[in-house]
Amino acid sequence: MSDSTIQHHEESRDVTFRVHRFNPQVDSKPYFDDYTIKLEKGITVLRALNYIKEHVDSTVTFRAFCQAGICGSCAMRINRMSKLACTTQVWDELDKTREPGVITIEPLRNLPLIKDLVVEMDPLVGKMKQHSNWVDSKMAEENWGWKEFLISEEEFLTYDKATDCILCASCVSECTILRANKEYVSPAVLLKSYRMNADSRDAIHDQRLAGLVQDHGVWDCTHCYRCQETCVKNIPIMGAIHGIREDAIERRGTKDSSGARHAEAFMDDIEKKGRLVEATLPIRTNGLAWTLRNLLPMAVKMIIKRRTPPPPPLVKASKGIQSLRKELKEMASHVAKDHEKKSGE
Amino acid sequence: MKRYAYYQSCINEAMTREVDRSIELWQHDLGIELVKLHESACCGGSNLEYVSPKQFALVNARNIALAEKQGLDLIVSCNTCLMTIRTAKKKLDELPALRAEVNEILREESLEYRGTSDVRHLLWVLIDDVGLDVIRKKVKNPLTRFRIAPFYGCHILRPSSVLGKDNPLEPTSLDQLLDALGAKSIPYEHKNRCCGFHTLLVAEEESLNVAAEALQEAMEEKADFIVTPCPLCHTVLDGYQAKALKHNGLKGSIPVYHLSEVVGLALGYSERQLGIKRHIVTA
Repeated sequence: MSDSTIQHHEESRDVTFRVHRFNPQVDSKPYFDDYTIKLEKGITVLRALNYIKEHVDSTVTFRAFCQAGICGSCAMRINRMSKLACTTQVWDELDKTREPGVITIEPLRNLPLIKDLVVEMDPLVGKMKQHSNWVDSKMAEENWGWKEFLISEEEFLTYDKATDCILCASCVSECTILRANKEYVSPAVLLKSYRMNADSRDAIHDQRLAGLVQDHGVWDCTHCYRCQETCVKNIPIMGAIHGIREDAIERRGTKDSSGARHAEAFMDDIEKKGRLVEATLPIRTNGLAWTLRNLLPMAVKMIIKRRTPPPPPLVKASKGIQSLRKELKEMASHVAKDHEKKSGE
Repeated sequence: MKRYAYYQSCINEAMTREVDRSIELWQHDLGIELVKLHESACCGGSNLEYVSPKQFALVNARNIALAEKQGLDLIVSCNTCLMTIRTAKKKLDELPALRAEVNEILREESLEYRGTSDVRHLLWVLIDDVGLDVIRKKVKNPLTRFRIAPFYGCHILRPSSVLGKDNPLEPTSLDQLLDALGAKSIPYEHKNRCCGFHTLLVAEEESLNVAAEALQEAMEEKADFIVTPCPLCHTVLDGYQAKALKHNGLKGSIPVYHLSEVVGLALGYSERQLGIKRHIVTA
């Protein structure tokens, strides 16, 4: 049993918080301060930070409000993962430290840093405004406040989990694509957009969807599932992203964007060969000109190394393809019936 | 000899043929036999589930049912195939109506999805079934001279509700295997991060930035090479390496090996036998 495990079972102990510090008015670059305090088991990271601010160093700056996992203000990176300080137990974090007894506290990533642990939320709010992350009501304005606008329980269940989002921005902080390009729509905005577009009271579904399929939108997600893994409310965010894509293909077709064309190619190839025809995937996704411009130099290297995927005629169909095709056709008729039923409702 | 049904990943039939070639070389040395499922179909590569959720369930129920018919677990050596097929399995296990609908169609081929076969990554089989102690004893050429940067890739870790083998924040399985092969695996931030593969054709610039950051860290940490259990990660980190580094104004290069190749090296096979010479970046 290691020292840290032994200490982990103690009711009180010294814990060091290695806190990210940066004051743009004074500091040329960020640094870390260590605060070692004696704590009792059962205390949250937020209470520990409050203790440090009140008794050790009043200059440590962080955001917090409700202390109950409701407001989302105190999201920060604790031991390299974005989460809420107010719902995170210090004792649980002692298991996850790289250095025994030292918990690292950093600001959220992918948002501009203001000071110490505080980040600027405006870029996220701006994207929420851009994608109308609210229900734009179908009801005539004169009826507002006078008439009820009911939805079915069945409908509500499709976005029940999505309404749990408290906008803490933990998913934003952990997003792979946002890290690579700050213009990316971001997982929280996709989640909210999915939720609004699934709401039958909303009047601007198509307009919102049209915005989501643009560059830096829903098709740029790389399916890394980091957003979902970090979500403090366990919301299946990737399910919402897939939901928008499914909706986009259904309403806007498969020729609409490179993302939709790319996705359709998988279905086509499975129907034709039972396997992917990789050689033509770039052309089917982005056209010939893009493929030549972007992939030709690499293709030459790959030909030399004999790594190129076989040309379409040489891709052998998987054994039993005839049966598979029949089955896919049968399922396609089920899907068509589902659609009929849905549109008849 | 323990037998498994082996899922044919599209990419291993095309661009990364060295994966299956190297597994075939050493599988019997470790007392396992992977029987290729020639009837299996493309899993949909984490795309089919939103193009058509029902076709996605059908195709992958069929893939698993083919293994179940032989009474074998389905073994996969591509992370995305693993995550995709396990996602379908979870849905089929949780939704009896979907399972019944799919099975009615599969009857055409005398197949039935029953949920009796597990779907696992080759890495998990090596650790859980073969065992690290057995692997240690079989090593002929310990990789003690190498500092290796393990790159797990996303879809062997996340979503953890579907994968569940490793803690996605601090995965250890690949590190444990590398340790058994005699190598030193280095700690670095990118080992559980993304390679950018799934946006290569849709948001190429973003993908190149993602890949470059991982490559840069592995180089800065002075790793001799990167090892990945996923042929998709390999395709980005090896095939797109020069482009990704150039795009980000970075210099240098680092070889990227498949999991199956490092196992083969440690078991005494040559780089040529294992197909390592086919990589774009060679040492």
